[in-house]
Amino acid sequence: MTEPIYRANVLVCAGTGCASSGSRSTMAALEAEVQRRGLQNEVRVVETGCRGFCAMGPIVIVYPEGIFYCQVKPEDVEELVEETLVKGRVVSRLVYEVPDTQQAVPLYEQIPFYSKQQRITLRNCGVIDPESIDEYIARGGYEALGKVLQEMTPSQVIDEVKASGLRGRGGAGFLTGLKWQFTAQAAGDIKYVVCNADEGDPGAFMDRSILEGDPHSVIEGMMICGYSVGAHEGYIYCRAEYPLAIKRLHLAIEKAHEYGLMGKDIFGSGFDFELIVKEGAGAFVCGEETALIASVEGRRGEPRPRPPFPANQGLWDRPTNVNNVKSYANVAQIIRNGAEWFSKIGTPKSPGTAIFALTGKVQNTGLIEVPMGITLREIIYDIGGGVPDGKQFKAVQTGGPLGGCLPASGLDLQVDFDSLRAAGAVMGSGGMIVVDEDTCMVEFCKYFLTFATAESCGKCVPCRVGGRRMLELLTRISEGQGTMADIEMIEEIARGMDSDSLCALGQLTPGPVLSALRYFRDEFEAHVLEGRCPAKQCVALTSFYIDPAACKGCGICKRACPVQVIEGDRRMIHIINQDGCIKCGTCQEVCPFDSVIKLSGETIEVPTELIPVGSFGK
Amino acid sequence: MPDVHVTIDGTEIAVPSGSTVLEAARIAGIEVDTLCDHPAIEPIGACRICLVEVEKQRALQPACTFPVSDGMVVHTRSEKVVGARKFVLQLLFSERNHFCMFCQMSGSCELQNLAYKYELDHWQFNRPMPTYAVDASREYFVMDHNRCILCRRCIRVCDELVGNGTLGLKNRGADAVIIADLDVPFGESSCISCGTCLQVCPTGALMDRASAYMGASDQVERVKSRCMGCPVGCGTELVVRDGQVIRVEGDWDAEPNKGLLCVVGRFDPQHEVRERVRKPLVRQGDAWSIADGEAAYGLVAEKVAAAGDSVATVASGFVTLEEAQALGSAVRGRKFYMYDLPQTDRTATMADLDEADLFIVTEMDLSLDFQVAGMAVKRGVRKRGARLILVGEGENGLADWASMRVGRADLAKVIAMAKSAERPVVVSGPAGLAAAREIVSAVPAASLASFAPGGNGRGLCDAGFGQTYAGDAAKVTVVVAGETSQVEPGLLDALKKQEFVVVVASYREPWDQVADVILPMPTAFEKSGTTVCADGQAGQVVAAMSTRVPTLEATIGMVAEAIR
Ligand SMILES: Cc1cc2nc3c(=O)[nH]c(=O)nc-3n(C[C@H](O)[C@H](O)[C@H](O)COP(=O)(O)O)c2cc1C
Ligand code: SF4
Ligand code: SF4
Ligand code: SF4
Ligand code: SF4
Ligand code: FES
Ligand code: FES
Repeated sequence: MTEPIYRANVLVCAGTGCASSGSRSTMAALEAEVQRRGLQNEVRVVETGCRGFCAMGPIVIVYPEGIFYCQVKPEDVEELVEETLVKGRVVSRLVYEVPDTQQAVPLYEQIPFYSKQQRITLRNCGVIDPESIDEYIARGGYEALGKVLQEMTPSQVIDEVKASGLRGRGGAGFLTGLKWQFTAQAAGDIKYVVCNADEGDPGAFMDRSILEGDPHSVIEGMMICGYSVGAHEGYIYCRAEYPLAIKRLHLAIEKAHEYGLMGKDIFGSGFDFELIVKEGAGAFVCGEETALIASVEGRRGEPRPRPPFPANQGLWDRPTNVNNVKSYANVAQIIRNGAEWFSKIGTPKSPGTAIFALTGKVQNTGLIEVPMGITLREIIYDIGGGVPDGKQFKAVQTGGPLGGCLPASGLDLQVDFDSLRAAGAVMGSGGMIVVDEDTCMVEFCKYFLTFATAESCGKCVPCRVGGRRMLELLTRISEGQGTMADIEMIEEIARGMDSDSLCALGQLTPGPVLSALRYFRDEFEAHVLEGRCPAKQCVALTSFYIDPAACKGCGICKRACPVQVIEGDRRMIHIINQDGCIKCGTCQEVCPFDSVIKLSGETIEVPTELIPVGSFGK
Repeated sequence: MPDVHVTIDGTEIAVPSGSTVLEAARIAGIEVDTLCDHPAIEPIGACRICLVEVEKQRALQPACTFPVSDGMVVHTRSEKVVGARKFVLQLLFSERNHFCMFCQMSGSCELQNLAYKYELDHWQFNRPMPTYAVDASREYFVMDHNRCILCRRCIRVCDELVGNGTLGLKNRGADAVIIADLDVPFGESSCISCGTCLQVCPTGALMDRASAYMGASDQVERVKSRCMGCPVGCGTELVVRDGQVIRVEGDWDAEPNKGLLCVVGRFDPQHEVRERVRKPLVRQGDAWSIADGEAAYGLVAEKVAAAGDSVATVASGFVTLEEAQALGSAVRGRKFYMYDLPQTDRTATMADLDEADLFIVTEMDLSLDFQVAGMAVKRGVRKRGARLILVGEGENGLADWASMRVGRADLAKVIAMAKSAERPVVVSGPAGLAAAREIVSAVPAASLASFAPGGNGRGLCDAGFGQTYAGDAAKVTVVVAGETSQVEPGLLDALKKQEFVVVVASYREPWDQVADVILPMPTAFEKSGTTVCADGQAGQVVAAMSTRVPTLEATIGMVAEAIR
């Protein structure tokens, strides 16, 4: 049977984001509508992986034009097919609008969110049907594997990867080729390759997107690695919370076997390779490579001291190469396009691209891939569209819960492994959270510290106990009980945890607090010295007042207060009894005249008894 | 292995490559403080007390795990190192309840010692001090989580050395707690009460009921001796205060057991409830009276003299070689060993057990008897992947470790498997000895570890007690029992039929059922002498307490005196 030649391809994103906003029903409706109109031989509906713009999902892109439709619901489908696929017109109510200007942008390439992106690692994501090995092959897939097995020696492969300058995308940025060389040189005839797909940072989902959207790219990278280090077995450790990724991995492995791309004597080269998918238990620390290995072996997932490094003593004490999903996903392209091609993208010391999960207070949130060396400003303002609601940018946190934050003065920093680290933030897991003036940095740190301490495995003392002590001190500060000595003690614990902890979890746990103290120390001091939370977020340090000059005596707040601590009467100035107030903010929300104000570190004068509206101070 | 050169605190030394910094420092005579590390188990680098500065490393490194490399320069006492140790100690003291004045470990505690050494004179960090329930469900010792520092020595010895794997952790981070099995009370767990965890715990978290608050390490003496409980012949350290043994510990340097003991050697003596025999006892009908020395020894002398050669002497494994020899030369008649005789050729040593790739255990439960040998089997299975075949039916505490169980009739299958193994070892008690012999004779590579109750069975054979007692008739039967409590009912029945029975024993039970006269005997803590364990190795029992109970030699002398 020959494939018909389609005049249009409709790509429906089935990534986890879009799937949860209903892309499955949109897909079904599209297929049904195409059938109903008898277009099935002209128009193909394809399910793809994530396009990164998940907040706008379900995303549908119509090719060849590249029309980008957002939030397409089943009830929109009839109109979409009628207008676009039959009449060739754009359905303007479904196209993307730039939030500030309301300008409609119908074409994919012109959407600001995508304009500065460079999709290399994600090049197939959202473009091909991830369940079709043919589509992967059609885009050059498995060419690199063939080239490696037929034309290159293992050490030539390692040299090529080294020459590309690829650095590990799992956080630390270690040179991938060098790591392969260590494993290749390690003594032993049984070796393993392991893919770290634990992705424990709650905000990150790039590894998931790649596994769901382009699983073969990871598999091909692992096989090339296996060939070059002398391993014939690989493990993908994928968190169990990613069922779709796991399903697609299994399918991809099955297909690769079917096509003779995996198993015994691949391409007649004599090279054998098998791949096993292991489901992770979901603890953040299991992403640390030695803990991951323990977990694959069936032991409690806890890190152990290195050396020995996995390259010498890894899985079942055999030499083992551990890389992140993204690291492997870059390999085939490096082989296919050459090391030089790759090394010219990005910066000389951090070649290639970086993938971030951009969230928080930006207009456009989602998964983005950008060349290394781009500035934070470009990411946040050009791609992210800036801070919404006219608020002020305050800080950006990179690297997830073990990362660090940067203030507005850091916006022109070029993003790469080394410059971020020098500034006190890190590349880490690729999380990027933007916060505006309404975020309290003490609270913000507390949030990350709470996460990190809960995820400490408890093996070593500095992390297990130090983290807990630090969280207690930070809590004290946010409750207005802190002292300047507490700030110093936080710094002392931070230094100790950094230098004395067993693994990077403990070493990096203080990161967010340290960077916040570096750039926003005044905010901490305001809590301690003035009992004031500048962002007015710390509950213990804020209070609600009814502005006596503005109150109209309508009584709405009094009725709404859940603990009934507002005194007042018709046309009388209402007063909040501060002792009983639980600071829920309901009064402020309901007041139709915006007469309720929130203060921190200051008070205003209010009447001591009920007096008529308009009479205060007269 | 070739040597590498390292410089530690300015001293350059050559150490075998593959050494850790800690090992290298010890070779250089430099002491590095440790807490989670213990020489008998694998280091895990958890507590961070042993952190040292290794030049060219970004962070401090744990000496207990960090491997040396050529040209490495290490500082073990720099300001940074001392600061890190103090930091870790301060954190530990902030974690749980370490008010030492109420703690039974005070004075012997490794954590407390470090606090003194690093001059911790105040609490630096806040101490929310969560309270944990004390688990007192185990018979011999108590777990107080409030003193636990989560060093995991207990977990690791139970796993690596005992092979039991009872202990583990629940929860993560600061909420981590030591648990038994799937978090059941310790007393209801798979624990076999060997007490190894108790012995290695550096703090007051594991507390021995018998010796708690009885003496800190500088108030006690330690006497190296040997357990007489069974023919494994474990080396012990008797902890003595004011002439009393307050606790028994395993001797880490002793060959057969390398620090391990079982409940029989460690706890039974301290928890003995039988009535001690301190003066001679003479039966009068159904009652017993404390006889004055002369009358009792006179009675025995009279009977022995009248019996001529019709005397049978039965010795238990609690009789030393020297005691046996004294009996041999002083008492006429036939000499017997109280239990079945152990096998003596092609014997396996404990070291052989630790190298076996196949264990065949015939008709016995090593979780109940000869437990230290059982531990070697368990850790062999857990740690080295050795296989275990249990021969015989019935409940067996090692069933969870076994890869196969076969009946007595299936020996052919077992023999076939043993033939394909490289280092098969057969382990047997008296009941399974016939089957064990059959396997060993069919498999040239196989060796046999055969155990029978009592610590000195082989020594007694060597001293002429080479027959198994089967109720042989005699005018006078002399039972030299020591403190044995493992007495078959059949033996008692046979003794009841004898004309006149003299028992020399440390405890009245069960001998008061069968004896006519009971003479006192020292316990193994009170006497010195030689024992020969199952694999033929001789070792010394050393007196740790003085006693007014006469030695067996003195008793023999008094009887002889009375005859004259
Ligand atoms: C607490 C912790 C969590 C980690 N989680 C991950 C993870 O989810 N995925 C990952 O690839 N690397 C993770 N890492 C880093 C790995 O230890 C390791 O460095 C990485 O997998 C190496 O791959 P790369 O060289 O390709 O970066 C984590 C490290 C730590 C300390
Ligand atoms: S630093 Fe934290 S997570 Fe890492 S080993 Fe120590 S306790 Fe575990
Ligand atoms: S365990 Fe040690 S440090 Fe803790 S209270 Fe007891 S003696 Fe003191
Ligand atoms: S007493 Fe022995 S078996 Fe029981 S937990 Fe301790 S080491 Fe394990
Ligand atoms: S009980 Fe003792 S040995 Fe076990 S972890 Fe606690 S302190 Fe360490
Ligand atoms: S899931 Fe559809 S764009 Fe991310
Ligand atoms: S003794 Fe080395 S880390 Fe505990």
